[in-house]
Amino acid sequence: MKILVPTKRVPDTDQKIVASADGLRVETDHIPHVINPFDAIAVEEAVRISERLRDVEVVAVGIGGPEYEQPLRTALAMGAARGIIVQCAKPLDPWNVSRLLKAIVERETPDLVLMGKQAVDDDANQTGQFLAALLDWPQATFASRLEFIGNELRVDRETDHGIETLTLTLPALVTTDLRLNEPRYASMAGIMKARKKPLETIAAGELGVPLEPRVEVIRYRSGDTRRAGERLASLDEFAALIAQAAGIGG
Amino acid sequence: MSKAITADAIIIGGGVAGLSTAMQLAGRGAKVIVLERERIGNGSTGRAAGLLGQLRGNAEHTRMLMDGVEIVRELEKQAGVEIFVPTGSLRIAETPERAEEIAALVAMGKSIGFEIDHASADEVSRMLPYMRTDDLLDACYSPTDGHIQPAELVSAYLKIGKARGVEYRTHTPVVQILLDGDRVRGVRATDGEYHADVVVNAGGPWSYLNAELADAVLPTAAIGHYYLTTRPDPAHPVDRLSPAIRDRHLRLYTRPESGGLIVGIYDPEPELHDMRRLPVDFDMSRMKAARDSIQVAQLLDAANRRFPWIDGRTPMSITTGIMTFTPDARPFCGKMPDIDGLYHCSGFSGHGIVQSPTIGLIMSQLILDGESTYDCESIEADRYFDVPGYVNRVEIEEKCVRMAGNYYGGVERPRPVASGSR
Repeated sequence: MKILVPTKRVPDTDQKIVASADGLRVETDHIPHVINPFDAIAVEEAVRISERLRDVEVVAVGIGGPEYEQPLRTALAMGAARGIIVQCAKPLDPWNVSRLLKAIVERETPDLVLMGKQAVDDDANQTGQFLAALLDWPQATFASRLEFIGNELRVDRETDHGIETLTLTLPALVTTDLRLNEPRYASMAGIMKARKKPLETIAAGELGVPLEPRVEVIRYRSGDTRRAGERLASLDEFAALIAQAAGIGG
Repeated sequence: MSKAITADAIIIGGGVAGLSTAMQLAGRGAKVIVLERERIGNGSTGRAAGLLGQLRGNAEHTRMLMDGVEIVRELEKQAGVEIFVPTGSLRIAETPERAEEIAALVAMGKSIGFEIDHASADEVSRMLPYMRTDDLLDACYSPTDGHIQPAELVSAYLKIGKARGVEYRTHTPVVQILLDGDRVRGVRATDGEYHADVVVNAGGPWSYLNAELADAVLPTAAIGHYYLTTRPDPAHPVDRLSPAIRDRHLRLYTRPESGGLIVGIYDPEPELHDMRRLPVDFDMSRMKAARDSIQVAQLLDAANRRFPWIDGRTPMSITTGIMTFTPDARPFCGKMPDIDGLYHCSGFSGHGIVQSPTIGLIMSQLILDGESTYDCESIEADRYFDVPGYVNRVEIEEKCVRMAGNYYGGVERPRPVASGSR
């Protein structure tokens, strides 16, 4: 079995991120970057599957400039077997990311695509769904549990109404939610091995996918994250306020 | 803000060094303003484990730490919080040279009346059933050691400081140090000017950049540090009064935390941070370790050797932060010879929490009396002033990184103090 894990490199969104003065970009130069946390969960799940079942190859893929080596090496250190960087200098919208990923899926013919449900930088939550539709594959988004039963994949997915269980035939696409697992920290041996694992670079142009931007960024604006607080005199006053907000009591 | 605010002293930095100094200065009637670039305790203070091992290779430092416990006891009474957790501490030796180190340490401790003695592997095993002990050659136990809870210490400094009239301004980075010839006359922050005859640079890892604002060289470097905290596990219960452990061979220290265990490492090849490259409002409390961090891998590897139940799959959190190291791992407290009124209080090399109670007192004495009741020779701010090899950033960083890398690796040779001296 082959599992393809698309990853994204994102700024650490726990740090303060602001729009540039001209509004044309987000200032992230000095912010530490990490592998998208939902993608780290996808890598972890793929590696756990490869540790549990025989003959499973985990391939991590990233789209971007040379700096994408970093999240891919992270995936390799966690246990992925090899990596692919699709070189593309331009920032892409989710539609074009999924079209490039479709070309990679056609080259690699994986049985399963496992990816984060969204990237924490733009929170678009579209790429997985687009990719499954382009491939005409079954999809299960927001997965909190994965289990292989025979040739089928049983997935628990988190919805606003509770846990929904789906059974998918392979090949399939699954996007990962927060509670699926807790990603590991790579071991020393894992980090050393990752340095020697193959990392292939493909120019986006070689994939024969003409880019068709559908999203135009007009302007970035920093939101006002500080909300005005109020000092209350007593706990009773606080309780009354909560009750009022909840629409209960007097 | 159009008109400058005036005070007796401006403290740059709302970590334990600045907060303790502010509290002590205000206790003697000074009007003090603390300017913090982020929130109070957001920097190294908020990431610290707070281990207190009082016995140092130097008798005066030991005295400072022992007196610090007395100050903390007083803060606990005044602020009504538990700050010091008296767990006791153990040092363990698995190699002959570490056993020699422990023998020397016990002799040195006894010579100054510090409570310390050898402990057998059996005794250690009884005290710490969750630790591997079959490879130990010797150990020593100090019942009066423990750890300081950083958040509680900060809240006590704040509570008492506020009662004494200290003003705290958060999200207010200092952008300029105002000088009048060779005299400091205040600072300019993002919201305007603050005038005072005394400015204290307690900026922790940022302190070398603060010094540069006055064209001064403060030979400190910002060094990354990592520890893990296991979640409570019924199979390996860790009592809240379980002794702290120092295993210098594996470069580890541990202490109990909320039913789990903190295990930290002084990495032989520590990370160097360039503070200029971090945003000025960098939130250290949200700093994360990469999933493929070599430092974390080394920490997990060493922790597994001492605690075989800890491995990469153990439910845990990783804490990473930035320490301020100096070329000799001792802090800088005081003035440089060429600028009057600008005091430095930084470079605690991983020991800021536990040194801060006495350091605040020392700083207030240096500022208000011009001298301290402690022998400050080894912590004077100007001990590398204009010394070749300690001037430019590259050579300073190289020396600090080397010190941090050898911090637990080097073998100490403490010597008993001759009777009669303190």
